[in-house]
Amino acid sequence: MSEFITGIVKNISLLHLNVLLLLGLALFGGTIGGRLFQRFKIPQVVGYIVIGLAIGQTGIHLIGTDSLKAFDPFNSFALGLIGFMIGGELKLGTLKKYGKQFLAILFMEALTAAVFVGILAAVAGYFLFHNIPLAVSFGLLLGSISAATAAAGTTDVLWEYKARGPLTTTLLGIVALDDIVALVLFAITANICGVLLGRSSGGVGVELAKLGYEVGVAAVLGGLAGFGLAKLLKKFKDEDKTLTFSIGGILFVLGVSVALGVDMILASMLIGVIMTNVAPRRSQEVFSMLERMSSPIFVLFFVLVGAKLDLSQLSLPLIILAAAYLVGRTGGKILGARLGGKMSRALSSVTKYLPLCLFSQSGVAFGLAIIASQRFPNEIGNAVIIIITATTFVVQLAGPPFIKHAVIKANEAGLNVTEEDLLKTSTAGEIVDPALPSIDANMSIKRVLNVFSSHDAFCYPVVDPGKKLVGVLTIETLKETFMAQELSDLLLAHDIMETPPATCGPESTLAEAEEKMRHFRVEYIPVVDGGGAVKGVIEQRGIGKAISRKMIELQERAAALG
Amino acid sequence: MDFISSIDRQCILLLTEKTKNEALIKMTEAAARAGGVTDRERLVKDILYREQLMSTGIGLGIAVPHVRFDQIKKPLIAVGVQPAGIQGYGSIDDVPIKIIVMILVGSNQHKEHIRLLSQAVSFLKSDHVIARLVAARSADDVCAVFTESRHE
Repeated sequence: MSEFITGIVKNISLLHLNVLLLLGLALFGGTIGGRLFQRFKIPQVVGYIVIGLAIGQTGIHLIGTDSLKAFDPFNSFALGLIGFMIGGELKLGTLKKYGKQFLAILFMEALTAAVFVGILAAVAGYFLFHNIPLAVSFGLLLGSISAATAAAGTTDVLWEYKARGPLTTTLLGIVALDDIVALVLFAITANICGVLLGRSSGGVGVELAKLGYEVGVAAVLGGLAGFGLAKLLKKFKDEDKTLTFSIGGILFVLGVSVALGVDMILASMLIGVIMTNVAPRRSQEVFSMLERMSSPIFVLFFVLVGAKLDLSQLSLPLIILAAAYLVGRTGGKILGARLGGKMSRALSSVTKYLPLCLFSQSGVAFGLAIIASQRFPNEIGNAVIIIITATTFVVQLAGPPFIKHAVIKANEAGLNVTEEDLLKTSTAGEIVDPALPSIDANMSIKRVLNVFSSHDAFCYPVVDPGKKLVGVLTIETLKETFMAQELSDLLLAHDIMETPPATCGPESTLAEAEEKMRHFRVEYIPVVDGGGAVKGVIEQRGIGKAISRKMIELQERAAALG
Repeated sequence: MDFISSIDRQCILLLTEKTKNEALIKMTEAAARAGGVTDRERLVKDILYREQLMSTGIGLGIAVPHVRFDQIKKPLIAVGVQPAGIQGYGSIDDVPIKIIVMILVGSNQHKEHIRLLSQAVSFLKSDHVIARLVAARSADDVCAVFTESRHE
């Protein structure tokens, strides 16, 4: 009996409850961490990772290696979503506009970082180990891995700060594509290392063919799925099906990619690219829907990234190599991006600030480090993992604030907002018309008509002699007096005004104001400040107008940047 | 919604009150009883507040006090005649008020409000009607003016 109970307890605590508890903990802890860091003006993603560190391999081991493994499919899903959403940013028009710049900056930043890291790591390796093939191998492997930039850590900051403009576009293009550069470089250098370390499995040709298969099949798979999904979504328009089909499609492609052993991020990215170009309007709905639901997925993903890092295995030689890697990569990315920008005559904001945005690394770098550790066990494989882990920790913490700084300096923050965002951030006080007159309760209808005819509003506040709000006059009620014009001297505003069911303060957001209007089924809401003074009335149509004016203004500002 | 059919027999009064407030309070209380208004005090206050904003005396000895009130379910009209006239009503022509037609409608009865007011004003435009009302010596006399006009 007691065995039975112990068995149950063990099962529950290890398998079911633990995973759920961990999910809950990770989400809550991560979100709280993110909020805390946000308060200190540090991007939330840093907070997620720090919470991950605290509960993971570096900290209190709340998440064990087994659980981390169990979350692998989830991580793939999150990466797939990120890939898909980045793909959605790659619109053909934009690519055409910036294509040349993309390529120049892409190759310069990726290759310069790889060369710098390669040289520094090889030199450091030689002094540490006095073994030339080993030192060169370190240089080659770390160099190729350093080319990659984390899409996840980067896009998260861009989304948090609602960035839009040429810097943002270029950055998105580059983080999407330099992973491919890293993959190609790694495939080549890993083979050279194989020769150097006497562990070659096949020729360079075989490896290249393998790479071609991984990239080619992924592209075809993602492309086909993108076309299919776009067609499907044109047929089924309701929200539930849109979301379900999209996520289903992404999961399907991720699964097939894993089964075929091809690059799944590239595949999901291509779904996004195809959809956004084949069915731009429909896919916009998909992307905004995913954006709304993706927040918990990304929080969890970054907490798990942090949890995976084990910083306790750092030894002095590895710290030196890691430092060499960091210096080389940071210097290479900065210099390369700047040169690439200059060469391709990119906008000055891009040349100036893009170099600050390329420090993040995670998914692909980790993946390559893990592949390295499988191909070269013992000697340098584990060292590569630890170095990448440690440096990932540093750049993931230090990288996002630089991106934030860059998008703000380039004036691109806050330009990529939706109407919903604007409703939540704009206040009633901002859009209320200060020139809108109040109507005195004892004003005759004749004079009220004059007020209506000399202003654009359909609704006015009515105030008593003490200037306190007593009602509102709408054009609807005014219309009812038209049939009795002989009364226009007898009737007062007081006689026909409506009592407003609700009011809002100047600090109320437009979203709150709209919610109240919807709740009381009215098209207006008076704005009254804390002291009871009437600030005016906002109308449903006025909100719509103000929001679209703001959207156009933001779009124009983004367009004016380049 | 017809003006005359909205007049409640219980609310046709021959007034003896000499002041505007007394006369209005008396009529309002009669109307409140007939209309099932429980908060009479507030109704009186609303009527007097409206007078403060602007007098409802429309000239020629006629006043048409009117309010919208939440406890009124069906439009209700009260009629008061004070043959001696009420001084200081604040009418546009300063003529003492002899005929008061009080219109009460529900809070949301905007259309009824305007229509009844308009009908009352045009009904009281007739010199003949005014003369008969002022000559009335009992509530029944007043009532007769309205019921007869119906058949005309």
